Amino acid sequence: MNKILSVLLLACLAIVSGCGKSEPGSSSNAGGSKITIALMPKSKGNAYFISCKKGADKAAKELGVDLVFDGPTDPDPAKQNEIIENWITLGVNAIAVACENREGISTALRKAKAKGIKIITYDADAMTDARDFFVNQATPEGIGFALMDEAARLCGNEGEFAIITASLTAANMIEWQKYIEARRADKYPNMKMVALRPCDDLKDKAQSEATALLSANANLKCIMAICSPAVPGAAEAVKQAGKTGKVKVLGLGLPNENKRYVHDGVTDSVILWNTEDLGYLTIFAANALAKGSLKAGNKTIKAGTLGEFQIEGDSILLGKPFTFNKDNIDKFDF
Amino acid sequence: MLLIFLAIAAPAFFQPQPLLSLLTREAPTLVVACGMAFVIISRQIDISVGSQFAVCCVCAGLLAAKGWPMPMVFLAAISLGAIMGALNGWLVAGIRLPSIVVTLATMVMWREALRWKRQGEFVNLPDGMQWLGLSQVGGQWTLILVALVLLVVLAMATKHLSAGRFVYAVGTDAEAARLAGIRPQLTTFSVFVFMGALVGLAAMLNVVQSPQVDPKSGSGLELKVIAAAVVGGVAVSGGRGKLWGVFVGLLLLACISPALTHLHVEAYWEKAIQGAIILLAVVADGLRTRKQRS
Repeated sequence: MNKILSVLLLACLAIVSGCGKSEPGSSSNAGGSKITIALMPKSKGNAYFISCKKGADKAAKELGVDLVFDGPTDPDPAKQNEIIENWITLGVNAIAVACENREGISTALRKAKAKGIKIITYDADAMTDARDFFVNQATPEGIGFALMDEAARLCGNEGEFAIITASLTAANMIEWQKYIEARRADKYPNMKMVALRPCDDLKDKAQSEATALLSANANLKCIMAICSPAVPGAAEAVKQAGKTGKVKVLGLGLPNENKRYVHDGVTDSVILWNTEDLGYLTIFAANALAKGSLKAGNKTIKAGTLGEFQIEGDSILLGKPFTFNKDNIDKFDF
Repeated sequence: MLLIFLAIAAPAFFQPQPLLSLLTREAPTLVVACGMAFVIISRQIDISVGSQFAVCCVCAGLLAAKGWPMPMVFLAAISLGAIMGALNGWLVAGIRLPSIVVTLATMVMWREALRWKRQGEFVNLPDGMQWLGLSQVGGQWTLILVALVLLVVLAMATKHLSAGRFVYAVGTDAEAARLAGIRPQLTTFSVFVFMGALVGLAAMLNVVQSPQVDPKSGSGLELKVIAAAVVGGVAVSGGRGKLWGVFVGLLLLACISPALTHLHVEAYWEKAIQGAIILLAVVADGLRTRKQRS
């Protein structure tokens, strides 16, 4: 009787685990042939990460791996840990995470690593000892150079431009400015930076700052906004001043916040990285790591249709930032 | 004085378009500053206005995006502001907690709730909402006029309506006011509700200026309006202050940043200059009260 009962129980369990976990990885993993990669965003509903997943899905299909996608509904480090624990139990081959909290998630990741699961971080890194590789979407140098190159292109390599930053003290902004200035001095000596104004990371303040910049600098050719709320803020100011097309706007921002202005011809270029490529590269890296073809010390990695990427130490570089403009901005929804 | 100096040093400051833009951007701030003047005159403080402002902006944006008619959106924003004000008012006047603690708590609460809910994502507004469907210049003048009319009406009301005088009386001496037949707790509660309603209106004046709403709107607004009130001669100790002064105070503070841009002064100095002006105003106020006592 007892035996029958336990067999029944086991059968039930098998059914429950089989149905309850709809992720394809759980069953095929037992066979050991097909690789399962688990991908975690900072939060599930965020359009930025949905765009990353689009690229990840494409990569998984090309590679023939199973992709499990799960994450907290809201950015929640505790919930991220919980999901990692589940994945350890599930026995996935590789985990790719965008970390909400660097320290918070590292304990769970170390545990997974000890169990032989390969760990990749993307978008936001964990502690370096808790993961194998970090897919770095943009270096300060890449961002600074891309901004300056694009500004020079829009201005025809000469003229006055102004920068709107988030704050005069933010470390990442200062770093970017350093590379912007280095690029200017090196390649575009006829470009002149006439002002640097902080907007406290607020769209409304950026608009006020841009309005003042426009009236105070009659020869201004271009406004470069290097924090995301400042791009639509500066664009609204240029539009209200009736200087659309005369003063170019570019900056570091998100496509959805700027679509309107790009289509109106106020903002020319929005610079960021290609989120789909980020997801695509992350899955290729996770797969190579799980298969053993990617090891510490490698200098490059091949990622399908995107070709080869550089590896610097334990960072895989996504490479040059991506420029959104009138022709391609509608393809992105985040 | 500042304006005369500017006229000579940087005449470009007085071009009509940027000036009109500047005034339009300050119209919502003026509305909130009026409310803040009443709060300070009644010897309270409300540092949650910036967060309330953001909540009202985002909610108004979401309702408008859902297709609500404009008057309903206005009404909803003002009511929402009044409800948030009522919560502050009940905690301060009903449970008798210090207003700085209460509004610090609600400031953090609303701001974080909004961050959790929106995660920083902008709200896109329907076409035709910007400038209330008017032309840009027409819309700008409408917003400025709404704020100025409100200022005039409120300034008159403080003089000629008993409710206005109650606020001064309670701020000067709550006990004396009670003996004179005023209900200080009810007055305080009403002041907070009114503050909230004005924040709701200000939020609307802000929302219609742009095709999208930044959920971080209103960060630092509380400091700006408290500074405007103090620079404008409202006594931090309560009971004294005029709305005209607040208007002038706000204009002065609002001009500093664009003025420095025109004078090509580095942005590093801006906050320091603002701080110095506020300090000057408080010191002047302190000297004046000392003179009166002696």
